[in-house]
Amino acid sequence: MANTWGYGAMTNHFGDLLGHSKAIFMIGANSAVANPIGFKHMLKAKDRNNAKLIVIDPVYTKSAAKADHYLRIRTGTDVAFIYGLLHLIFKNNWEDESFIADRVYGIDEVKKEAKKWTPQKTSDVTGIPAEQIIQIARLMATTKPATVVWALGITQHSTGTSNTRILPILQLVLGNMGKKGGGCNIIRGHDNVQGSTDMCCLADSLPGYYGLGEKSWQYYAKGWGVDYKWLQDRFYSPKWMNEKGFSLAKWWQGVLQEEKTYSSSPIRALWVQGTGISSMAQTAKVKEALDKLDLLVIAEPFVNEAAVITDKTDNIYILPVATQFENEGVVVATNRTAQWRDKVVDPLYESKTDDEVMFEFAKKFGFYEEYTRAMKMDIKDGELKTVKKDFFFADDAMNEIARIVKTIGLGGWTAERLREHQSNWHLFDPITLKGRGKVKGQYYGLPWPSWDVKHPGSPVLYNVDEEVNKGGMGFRNRFGLEHEGEDLLASDAVTIKGSKVKGGYPEITAKNIEKVLGITLSKEEKSKIGANWKVDFSGIIQEKCREAGVAPYGNAKARAIVWTFPDEVPIHREPIHSPRWDLVKAHPTYEDQTNNFRVDVKFKSEQQAQDWSKDFPTMLVTKRVVNLSGAGMLERTSKYLSHITPDMFANIHPDLAADLDIRDGDQMWLHSPQGTKIKVKAIYCFSVTPDRIALPYNFAGVMQGVDMSANYPEGTKPYTIGESSNTITNYGFDIITQIPEFNAGLCRIEKA
Amino acid sequence: MSSKLSDLSMKVGRRGFLKLASLGATLGATSAFASADSIRPATKEEIKNPYPGSKIVKTICSICSAGCGIKAEVHNGVWVRQDVAQDHPISEGSHCCKGIDQIDLVKSKQRVKHPMKKVNNKWERISWETAISEISEQMLKLRKENGPDVAMFLGSAKFNLQQAFYFRKFAAFWGTNNIDHVARI
Repeated sequence: MANTWGYGAMTNHFGDLLGHSKAIFMIGANSAVANPIGFKHMLKAKDRNNAKLIVIDPVYTKSAAKADHYLRIRTGTDVAFIYGLLHLIFKNNWEDESFIADRVYGIDEVKKEAKKWTPQKTSDVTGIPAEQIIQIARLMATTKPATVVWALGITQHSTGTSNTRILPILQLVLGNMGKKGGGCNIIRGHDNVQGSTDMCCLADSLPGYYGLGEKSWQYYAKGWGVDYKWLQDRFYSPKWMNEKGFSLAKWWQGVLQEEKTYSSSPIRALWVQGTGISSMAQTAKVKEALDKLDLLVIAEPFVNEAAVITDKTDNIYILPVATQFENEGVVVATNRTAQWRDKVVDPLYESKTDDEVMFEFAKKFGFYEEYTRAMKMDIKDGELKTVKKDFFFADDAMNEIARIVKTIGLGGWTAERLREHQSNWHLFDPITLKGRGKVKGQYYGLPWPSWDVKHPGSPVLYNVDEEVNKGGMGFRNRFGLEHEGEDLLASDAVTIKGSKVKGGYPEITAKNIEKVLGITLSKEEKSKIGANWKVDFSGIIQEKCREAGVAPYGNAKARAIVWTFPDEVPIHREPIHSPRWDLVKAHPTYEDQTNNFRVDVKFKSEQQAQDWSKDFPTMLVTKRVVNLSGAGMLERTSKYLSHITPDMFANIHPDLAADLDIRDGDQMWLHSPQGTKIKVKAIYCFSVTPDRIALPYNFAGVMQGVDMSANYPEGTKPYTIGESSNTITNYGFDIITQIPEFNAGLCRIEKA
Repeated sequence: MSSKLSDLSMKVGRRGFLKLASLGATLGATSAFASADSIRPATKEEIKNPYPGSKIVKTICSICSAGCGIKAEVHNGVWVRQDVAQDHPISEGSHCCKGIDQIDLVKSKQRVKHPMKKVNNKWERISWETAISEISEQMLKLRKENGPDVAMFLGSAKFNLQQAFYFRKFAAFWGTNNIDHVARI
């Protein structure tokens, strides 16, 4: 997404779907159980707008049960399916020609690829009947605005990055972007996935997606009030400061080093502060790595199963951390809305808040003073200065973020404004998010970008029919000014409402600001201005942009070609473990990968080692249940929620079960290609077909048939434990993001 | 911050007080219905609200990313009741089965109550002071031996925004990019 039009976030919001969508195309998401209140908005859209709900999923989910159209897709064939739709759209000239001409680059390459995907071929690959593909293509072409909704069912593939590119391409072709009721709406999982991602608790970037380049570090050193050289010396050597670290997906290879790794050190200590360990793939490998660690530190409100699934007998520490109701701060909803969350009660027992834990160790590690310095700073007369002696974490850290993170436009997110929104929930309209009274003109939670303290937030991204100062914008100019001789800026026809600059324009820099905005800077302004809009502490660039009604990030074309990726346009590639050996040769995966996140990754060598479908004939689909989320660490400690699903289970079609002599309620073993197995209860269900089974990923505490209960500290064992589905998640990782292939794999079933 | 242990004894003191109060031995501020010998007529205010003087805290559900509003009723520092937020612009008074149970999450019996350490395959209770000094000693020793990339930091999508920023900063100041969280999955 970010590689298509600038930002990788949900473009619209739930209220907007409710108010304006005429069709909701849900693929790889099951909102009815994952975010029921989000789903309520979609059900209301059906009632209110007669919106058609289309659900595409390998399993007949609870969301599918409410859909007007359900398409049962084979796992890992999303790109093929969307090309099947694009084939028909181009063939019948259903595309939005002017939108494409004015705002999109590189669609011809997509057209070429789409030509191959006739309904018959698409049907053969995806398993969706050709008639249904034709029906849905027509529906999407004739129903505007239509929105596309997805979640982890799209990203968790070896082709996840291609999946997240082909859906935006579909919406660009249909002209559904930048429109109320349209857009690409990725629904995030946990409460603050959006915020934690924006803050880049990630191995490949500094907060705000600034990346890891030297200039980014220099900018941050300045913003944090520390010497760049000092910060650089904290690293093993300058080289490692700019190298991506190990990822959550394969950190364990940093310990085990079975595949080739590239780091200045093996991993010997693991510090877990709020990540359910069994929500990662390859749980058996994770366990081996945990066993081998020198030191394991866990800081959580509940016992993280990292402490339970390991046989490590010494040097595991568990620190009690408060829940989010025991401290205050901001939580960013899936639609980029920032919500201030008040503290309900003081930390219980001996719990400390997450920030207190960090501060305690920062003191011991010798960097506390540098670490907290920026909370005492502010911009005075266009320059960064220390302005006070003490800090109050929630407010001063928020203001530090607002001061530094310009890339996604957090300039307007001051603690004061967010607190005002929190105390005036009643003043915001649920469909438009627009405020009245004292918050008139502002949108609830100032959905980013909110460029400065006067900006109301942007409820719908890339909407050129709205003034920039009221939440409008074009696509971001992120990929240069031209490619192979073609202009990458929006055409002259795309003038953002109220903008002083006509047509497309580049991102604003100190060099081009006078020319693009047609202004002359004073001598003083010139001396204070930062190199570009992303690193301008002085605020001058934003101030001038505001006056001109211009978005500082430019007004460019979205792109269908990503020339830095292995696939310039998305192409269908079979999963690493494919049930269709006959298609593996025609649609192979990538060549094996060297050094992504400091470790090698197998692709083709694993995919083509053998015909996996012979020994592992059944497709493995993971799902979730309404009462549990993530690794289930939280809800399984609730008596009433855990009661709803007392056992780990798998849904199996009675015909498949009959062939295997498995009765409803019997225990069965599920074996994976990498030699791991789990023992789960069979639940007969017609939501799956006989070629696949579906199992929830929300359990832990049992490993390959072994009950690990004895490892829980006294009084901390959840009401329910069970096998983690991720123990048998097949080997496979996305070529760019390294997300594991949770959602396409194979298994062999055996009666226990 | 380091005074948390003494805070705890204050809390225990407060709970002890509440226990007494609920026996009706003192003050009409809390439940008057627990003990048969000391029942007195409930005041008009108590009929309307069993928790007189309680305050409503507006907060946000910590489960999924929809961001539903919650009204938490707090009485003498204890979260006593949870209600839906009718005026919240996203949830408009709705909750799912997980959201409505947030009060139980906080009060769950299975919470980690104090720092612990595994020694010889047994969990031992330790103090925060011990935990912090032992962990940091070992971390610094490993850092000295192998450099800062010796550690892997896994953060959280349950952090609030400020904490997420500070966790990224924490890894940077420690000197590594070995930091990640569940956005990767």
